[in-house]
Amino acid sequence: MKHKEDVWGWMLAVDFFFVGMGGGMLVVTGLAGLFLRPGVTSLLGNFAAPLFISIGAGFLILELGRPLQAWRVFLNPKAILTIGAWNMLVAIGCGLLYASFGIPGIPWADWAVLQQILAFVCVIVGLVVATYPGFLLGWHKARPFWTGPGIIGLFLISSLVTGISAHILAGAILSPISSKLLNSMPGLLAGLLSLQLVLWVGYILVKRTGTTDREAIAVADWINGELALAFWGGLICLGTLLPLILLLLTSETAHTIGALLVILGGALMRWMVVRSGEHRTWLPGEQYYLSKLPEGDEAFLNVWDY
Amino acid sequence: MEKITLTNNLALQHDDVQVKKSACFFCHQNCGVLAYVKDGKVVDIEGDPDHFTNRGGLCSRGIIALKNLDHPARINHPLHRVGERGEGKWEQIPWHQALDEIAEKLVKIRDKFGPEAVATAGGTQRTDDWARRRFMNLFGSPNSFHNAHLCWIPTFMVETAIYGWCPFDMDLGNSRCLVLWGHNPGASYMPVMRGISDLKDNGLKVIVIDPRFTETAAKADLWLPLRPGSDAALALAWLNVIIWEGLYDQQFIENCCVGFDELAQHVQGFTPEWAAPLTWLDEDLIRQGAHMYANNKPGNIQWGVAVDQIGTPAGAAMHARALLRAVTGNLDAPGSDLLTGPSPDFITDEEMEANEWLTNEQKAKQLGSDKYKLTTWPGYGRIAELTREVWGKAPTAEWMCEAHPPTVFNAILSGEPYPVKALITLATNPVNSYGDSQRVLEALRAVDFLVSMEYWKTPSAMLADYILPAAGWLERPTITSTYGCSDFVIASQRAIQPMYERHTDYQFWRGLALRLGQEEMWPWENLEEAFYYRIYPLGYDISGYDEFVEQYRFHFPEREYYKYARLGFATPSRRVELYSSTLEELGYSPMPEYVGPAENEIDHPEVAEEYPLVLTTGGGFMPYYHSEHFQIKELRFLRHEPQVQINSATAAELEIEEGDWVWIETRRGRIKQKANLTQAVHPKVVVTQRGWWYPEREAKEPGLGGCLESNTNVLTSIEDEHCDPIGGSWANRGLLCKVYKVNGTMEEVN
Amino acid sequence: MARYVIVLDTRRCIGCHSCTVACKINKDLPVDMIYNPVTIVGPSGVFPNLHMTHIPLLCMQCDNPPCVDCCPTGASQQRDDGIVWVDEDKCVGCKACVMSCPYGARVPNPAKGIVQKCDFCMDRVELGEEPFCVKTCHQRARIFGDLENPTSEVYKLVNSEHVLRLLPELGTEPHAFYIMD
Repeated sequence: MKHKEDVWGWMLAVDFFFVGMGGGMLVVTGLAGLFLRPGVTSLLGNFAAPLFISIGAGFLILELGRPLQAWRVFLNPKAILTIGAWNMLVAIGCGLLYASFGIPGIPWADWAVLQQILAFVCVIVGLVVATYPGFLLGWHKARPFWTGPGIIGLFLISSLVTGISAHILAGAILSPISSKLLNSMPGLLAGLLSLQLVLWVGYILVKRTGTTDREAIAVADWINGELALAFWGGLICLGTLLPLILLLLTSETAHTIGALLVILGGALMRWMVVRSGEHRTWLPGEQYYLSKLPEGDEAFLNVWDY
Repeated sequence: MEKITLTNNLALQHDDVQVKKSACFFCHQNCGVLAYVKDGKVVDIEGDPDHFTNRGGLCSRGIIALKNLDHPARINHPLHRVGERGEGKWEQIPWHQALDEIAEKLVKIRDKFGPEAVATAGGTQRTDDWARRRFMNLFGSPNSFHNAHLCWIPTFMVETAIYGWCPFDMDLGNSRCLVLWGHNPGASYMPVMRGISDLKDNGLKVIVIDPRFTETAAKADLWLPLRPGSDAALALAWLNVIIWEGLYDQQFIENCCVGFDELAQHVQGFTPEWAAPLTWLDEDLIRQGAHMYANNKPGNIQWGVAVDQIGTPAGAAMHARALLRAVTGNLDAPGSDLLTGPSPDFITDEEMEANEWLTNEQKAKQLGSDKYKLTTWPGYGRIAELTREVWGKAPTAEWMCEAHPPTVFNAILSGEPYPVKALITLATNPVNSYGDSQRVLEALRAVDFLVSMEYWKTPSAMLADYILPAAGWLERPTITSTYGCSDFVIASQRAIQPMYERHTDYQFWRGLALRLGQEEMWPWENLEEAFYYRIYPLGYDISGYDEFVEQYRFHFPEREYYKYARLGFATPSRRVELYSSTLEELGYSPMPEYVGPAENEIDHPEVAEEYPLVLTTGGGFMPYYHSEHFQIKELRFLRHEPQVQINSATAAELEIEEGDWVWIETRRGRIKQKANLTQAVHPKVVVTQRGWWYPEREAKEPGLGGCLESNTNVLTSIEDEHCDPIGGSWANRGLLCKVYKVNGTMEEVN
Repeated sequence: MARYVIVLDTRRCIGCHSCTVACKINKDLPVDMIYNPVTIVGPSGVFPNLHMTHIPLLCMQCDNPPCVDCCPTGASQQRDDGIVWVDEDKCVGCKACVMSCPYGARVPNPAKGIVQKCDFCMDRVELGEEPFCVKTCHQRARIFGDLENPTSEVYKLVNSEHVLRLLPELGTEPHAFYIMD
């Protein structure tokens, strides 16, 4: 009953997906702006970055029990979530401001120093946005699938690959001023996907022989349990291996499809990870107790009004 | 209303909050409850820290009292049936009209069929039973009954026949060994369990005799998981060991008993080796138990209702069990089971019953008294005579001397030996709690006139012609005195006057009495007056009942051990009768015979072929009490479906998994409960939960709140052959059954 | 300064669930919110050699409470006497505490949109009373007191009996102590 709704749900997964992708996009935008030149990333992509982060934050707010009080999450500087909230705020602001430099006729179009500073900041905050969900989850000692440093890498890499994929798609819709970077993205993405593959397989293996039984139980879902199809079929095959192959081909269509698959894979991955958060450090007898509680729709709970 | 944190201390600081010393009667522990009353409403309750029974504790049942008090499904006004019986159509009428009409109807029935055609049914000890008996005696009917035959009463009477009173008051503080025979205080009597834990810390040995590994068994020193219904064999084997291994109390037997030699000869063959295949216990374990009890003296045997519920062998089993105290001298000695006797100090229940007003002619008509003599007028009359001779008073007749319920239901249905035309039920949901629910349902549907005084529209109440709203424990004063047989009294007051149009059952009986020419016999206008009358002889300086509650609360006489030295035992020989002349007089065996379980694989192999598993049922479990509390959401949430315990290996053979709905079937019928796979029971034993019905469904016909769907009494038996010939107990436990999965979707039981 | 703790004596607990119901009634909780479930372990073994224990669970009032560290609004707080509580006005129902508590002690209240928890009946403790679950337990299986008071029962129990804590390896420093058989 209520115990089934105790945990973070799909809205968190959507939030992680959008902020991860947006954060990854922001890193790429920022790095491109710092080390290449502004304009090598699509304007659409530049605006999409802070937009996606905002969408993610929007879902975060909707997930709250009292969304209208959302402003309160900025108040406890010791909490990871608070730091994340501030950071997202900065990321959205700087991302929008940086992207605005690409709008024709914008008044501050030639304030180059500001643009460079913003690019730098975008890289930093983008990295934080891309990484901090992993950091947040990895901090949870109570959740055996999440706990530990490994998940940080998984989130970072996922943010980067979805971010780059989104830039590829944005570039296909609205070309950047120069296509030099865009042309290298498929190769870059393919490389990162190989890394993603290695990291995931490694993570699963490490968890399987984890320090506690609980970790092995949690990861069993992924190997041959409830999440196996989504993991092997979805994230690994369709979300990593297939796009990897497609990106090594020369056709632009193949690249586009590959990028799309990577993005879908990223969404799927976030959903699976959040789902896996249902596994807790169960106490003796607890699961049996919870399994015997009513569902919530039983007549005896609703027939009498008191 | 705003939630106020109230504690005893804080409440005293609020001028407008009164603290009332009430008592919960959701079970017989009658824990003290402080009720905080403001503006005539109970705003909070808590366990009374000054009440010695619970010392501030209060279990989940007592705690929800305020959810119970004004629950939307409570009956608050008198109702008269319009439409067909069970249709669920009612008109609300005033009390005086209801009583007028009921009285009129009773008179008509009496004039045509005799007063014996009116019967009353009760359930657990809940009501002012002495008032009920008073009314019935004056009316002329001998046919009142409760679930007495399942609830300690036959044990009380057998033990009183043997040693002159029932030693239910245990001197546990000085005890070294406690035998819990078919009793699980860990799930039913919370304060008793606390006491046991405390005493275990001081070295008390605890033996649990129970087919289930219960909460109490888990904390025992020794657990004897006997075959359900085989208690007679176990008790006889213990007698054999104690006598033939020389563990008996020589001095007590010489000075206080008769019939030892006969008993010794009688039990010679009942060795542990003989008992082992009958009880499914290892002979060494049987011996170990007997040794532990006999060698750790003083010791106690706590009664539980299990042995009263095994049907055919019940009398023999409780007889043999009773003799254990005698041969070990564990009677009225410090640390043992005390023969406190009835109280000489206050007016007992029996003295309020007006038994002298029932003529012998009418007594002879008591249904079942021709067969089941011990717990009806023949046996009760003789025993009351004996106790009056020695103690000066008699046990409560309403409980100890009752019509045999199955015989009454059969009389309703068949008109034999004479027709019963009216049934008044209070504090009972008969279709739920009496044996063979289908038969009971038939009887409730068939009886001409059915009146129910109730809290809830139970399936039984739904079949009534009149329903009257009953006051609960916060709305009435309560005297705790163990079915009227204790030498102590614990008094509790009402927190508030009954809400809406509810009344106490005393008011019901008195109301009828005034209309039937009995007014002189009912001078007390309310319970406080009646209770004051009863405790007045104690000699406290009080001018009313509430004053006694507020200032004194309890009366415990000084403990006197070895009273028999002064009085003798209330038996014909004035000794403990190991060879019982009273039982012999009544036509029963003077010494316990071996009787096998009501349905068993040895005596009934053809039944066992179709029904290979052994059923036991009826044990209490939290947070319910019989059919109560299933409509309290806070409790139902914790245990919302009926569960049947079945051994994991047996379940695997039957392809049953944890949580599957399964049918449990006996020769009487079948019910469905959810399988709980466990090692807590023998592979051949199955344990169904009692009490289950579904108040969230409409209790009217045809569904009747699912009262036959998961109700364990569909499985039990009231057949003549399954009733104990001595006390009349019908068979709830030790029956043969089979279990199989419910296929497909949930089918309704018709 | 006091440090309030609770000791759960599983030798005496019989799994009657009275503490669970009492807490719910005292705090006026919705039917489906449970602060203090009592679980059952067993019967383990093979009939008839069996063993069974009931484990009363509740907020462990940790010294390193992850639920306080992760709360973005500062609603989750810990007092000097160890009691961890929630300022309901500040809670936005983000459920970070629910995810972070290894003991399942943080209970969402969907109707109010916040997350609540056992607070050792702070209001009663301030009046010198025991938490309601402690008071109501017939078996005296729940013992409450100040661990820093050497004359208190909890002090004696924690320092003399075979006590253990749940999930100590997670570093939360729980302050509910279990006496096992």
